[in-house]
Amino acid sequence: MIALDNLAVRAGSFALSGISFVIPTGHHGFLMGKTGSGKTTLLEAVCGLKPAVAGRIVLGGHDVTRVKPAARGIGYVPQDGALFPTMTVREHLAFALTIRRWKTTDIERRVDELATMLGLEQLLPRRPQGLSGGEAQRVALGRALANRPHVLCLDEPLSALDEDTRAEMCEVLQTVRRHTGVTILHVTHSLADARKLADRIFLLRDGRLSSEEAGTRVATGGETQAA
Amino acid sequence: MKTARRLLVVSGLAALLLVFLLWWEPGGPPARSAKTPLVIYCAAGLKPPVEAAARAYERTCDTPIQIQYGGSGALLSNLRVVGRGDLFLAADDSYLRMAHTIGLIEETIPLARMVPVIAVRKGNPKSIHSLEDLLRVEVALANPEAAAIGNVVRELLRPSGQWDALEKRVHVFKPTVTDIANDIKLGTVDAGIIWDATVNQYPELEMVRIPALNAGEGNISIGVLSFSQQPTSALRFARYLGAPDKGLQEFSRLGYQPVAGDAWAERPEAVLFSGGVNRLAIEETIQRFEQREGVSVTRVFNGCGILVSQMKSGQHPDAYFACDISFMPPVRDLFLDPLNVSETDLVLVVAQGNPLAIRSLADLPRPGLRVGVANPEQSALGALTERLLKELGLLEGVTPNLKVQTPTADLLVNQMRTGSLDAVIVYEVNASQVRDRLTVVPIQHAAAKAIQPYAIGKNSKHRLLMERLRAAICSDASRQRYESLGFHWHTNAP
Amino acid sequence: MPQPATQTPAKTLERAPSDAPFYLGMGLIGGLYVLLILGLLAADASFTAPRHLWQALQSREIRYAIKLSLLSCSLTAILSVWVAVPIGYLMARQRFPGKPLLDAILDIPIVLPPLVIGLSLLILFQTPLGKAIEKVVPVTYEIPSIILAQFSVACAFAVRTLRATFDQINPRQEQVALTLGCRRSQAFWLVVLPEARRGLLTAATLAWARALGEFGPILVFSGATRMRTEVLPTSVFLELSVGHIEAAVAVSLLMVMAAVLVLVIIRCYGLAETLGRPL
Repeated sequence: MIALDNLAVRAGSFALSGISFVIPTGHHGFLMGKTGSGKTTLLEAVCGLKPAVAGRIVLGGHDVTRVKPAARGIGYVPQDGALFPTMTVREHLAFALTIRRWKTTDIERRVDELATMLGLEQLLPRRPQGLSGGEAQRVALGRALANRPHVLCLDEPLSALDEDTRAEMCEVLQTVRRHTGVTILHVTHSLADARKLADRIFLLRDGRLSSEEAGTRVATGGETQAA
Repeated sequence: MKTARRLLVVSGLAALLLVFLLWWEPGGPPARSAKTPLVIYCAAGLKPPVEAAARAYERTCDTPIQIQYGGSGALLSNLRVVGRGDLFLAADDSYLRMAHTIGLIEETIPLARMVPVIAVRKGNPKSIHSLEDLLRVEVALANPEAAAIGNVVRELLRPSGQWDALEKRVHVFKPTVTDIANDIKLGTVDAGIIWDATVNQYPELEMVRIPALNAGEGNISIGVLSFSQQPTSALRFARYLGAPDKGLQEFSRLGYQPVAGDAWAERPEAVLFSGGVNRLAIEETIQRFEQREGVSVTRVFNGCGILVSQMKSGQHPDAYFACDISFMPPVRDLFLDPLNVSETDLVLVVAQGNPLAIRSLADLPRPGLRVGVANPEQSALGALTERLLKELGLLEGVTPNLKVQTPTADLLVNQMRTGSLDAVIVYEVNASQVRDRLTVVPIQHAAAKAIQPYAIGKNSKHRLLMERLRAAICSDASRQRYESLGFHWHTNAP
Repeated sequence: MPQPATQTPAKTLERAPSDAPFYLGMGLIGGLYVLLILGLLAADASFTAPRHLWQALQSREIRYAIKLSLLSCSLTAILSVWVAVPIGYLMARQRFPGKPLLDAILDIPIVLPPLVIGLSLLILFQTPLGKAIEKVVPVTYEIPSIILAQFSVACAFAVRTLRATFDQINPRQEQVALTLGCRRSQAFWLVVLPEARRGLLTAATLAWARALGEFGPILVFSGATRMRTEVLPTSVFLELSVGHIEAAVAVSLLMVMAAVLVLVIIRCYGLAETLGRPL
């Protein structure tokens, strides 16, 4: 689960404060807001890439506010995928495991698992140059999921894709949720995507948060739902 | 993913390999002697003759030589900062003089002379025969602030107004004569004023001598740096370079006008004839000189009369340091112009306390007095004494009392100490050594003094060496020694 | 779709003006510069003759100078890259007080006249600190001084290049690597550096080229001692100082040939690296 408690973050000229929400385990939470409202900053804070000025971040029951990104147990898929140009797809999927010095046989097994789940078997020996948008997103996803994180942070993963690919990706995300039970924090500006997938929708406006449960109307004032 | 590590390792190995290659000398360690090399700062334009001479010297004397080339001015700045090195060879004397002024140079040995000339391309295509002709072509001159020849030419031509005319017309000013020569060779200018020696280096150029420029002088010399750690070795090489049968041959081969240098000898042996009075003053100086230069100077101390007759009978020393100027004329034709270095007075020396109350020369004819003087034929002291007594009209009166006439003053002083004489006439210098045992009575007379001249043999093979010895004798340290012994420094001496 | 009633299809197509003048203009300007460079080389070549080149190669001095130049430039290039990588990375990624000042300081070796750099090095090694260093490793007038003189200038160029390289690498990749379990150092080695390979090569090449042409500082700080601290530019200077223009030009051409050879080899290697990978 993802729980923010009165989080305050600074990023350049930006300041967010009093951010609190909870996404229960296995749920798909959407963070929405206008461009420039600080969604990415908040996501980065959850990942540990930006320091928290005040408040707490709790992931999977652990307080990770002061913990390094490597130890938070998260998977991060940034807006442009940010694949490593010098590595093959296989190396991408294996990256998190190679770092942790897993046995070669275990790594191979896990890579095959991920490849099957995400439909990447044919692409394993390829490099990021020349992959289509959808393929690249799936590789990024696989890379993030390799080490079985509790939490998956997605920054506008669908915005650069065309209609068909987007639909494909939505299915992939649902598959992932089903198979891994991971909690997802999904940043987007498209209400349509949110409506389709979300269990919870949060709106970020003027540095403050409001939440909308799928299907219910918007209620203002930092109300949090009990898990 | 291992590429980064691999990159680091490969580059590290490459770096180590390069370091190794840079240090390793192919063919094993150089068969160089363990001697510290001589470091010479040499003007780049003088590379051919100096390089050739240095290689020959390395073989002859088994001393490694390292030569730093550069522009004269830049080299001077360099060695001022670094304070290391043994010799400095500039393209022109003015740099050496500058270095000497700031105390960087000890000895200087001259090498070659140069005269400014007009340089043109071979065949003189623009028919330049005079300074006026220069005004109608493209001319390059040396910058008076940067190159000595620039200054020399400016001084030569300014009085007649020709400099101003040239300056207006000049196409370009260059910092060195080589730059100008290159320009003429390439054709960017038609003519320039440079040293004749430089023109001789370029087969493509020829020179036009101009009477107005002939008075100009450029000298190439090598100077020993005052902070050199091996001055003897440095001086030896400098002498080699300045020897007409060795280094100077390279210079004349390449079109320079060599000076008349000392003949080469690895350890020159010179002979100095000197009157006895000088001994105490110069002994230490000469010893130091011998050590520093790596030469041997045989000192022959004797009465000047004896020395003169030796010289007349055919012995020609490299230098003659007389007790008095009166003993120079007989052999004057053997020597170059003498330099008067010091003076000392004649004095009376009597027993301690002057028991016999001898107050002046006039007391000497007193009957029963035992007087000692120096032999007038054999020594300058004796001749001066005789002349003095003659002038005072005392000679006849004193002669009966003359118990002894010795060839040198030392013997007289000794006899005074043993008490076998009552009074002697010696130099004040001789007396100053025994002031504690005997009493000195000054002689008030204008003629009661001796002036010591130093002269270098005309036909000496070591003229420059003897000049350096003279410089050592005239140095401040030597002067101090002279004065502490009771000499007076002569007004002519530097 | 509704069409405006008055519009009728044109009888002939519009004429788009030709792009030829544009390309011609660009080509002309660029071509002039290339011509200038080639002209310089041609002038040199016409002034000397193959026998001068041959004579130069036969001289022991010149062969030593070639060896010293190649070895020292390569070492300088490697050292420059080693030093420039952390500096360039820091300047590209970190923000810290005094950064603009550091930026300016790093540009000083590029702006200072080479002679001043040489003189400053000379003076530096006469200070107590310098003298202490000299006791361990003799520097002034010895080979290490050449490396130091070359490095002082070449590294500045390498830093500039690598800073631009790291600036262009998306920091997101490092951030992703951090979330995947990397320490900062691992993120740097495994993600950033491999992607900066091209930039490293360029920086090394630039440093190498700059070091080869370095003359002023070396003349002042290392001297021009035959068979010891004589590099190729020094040889040119010495030949010129005695009026051997042909020999000077011959050595210059040797230098150009050596440089072109090395640069072409490096470029080919770099190209092969990128082309060799399956796309």
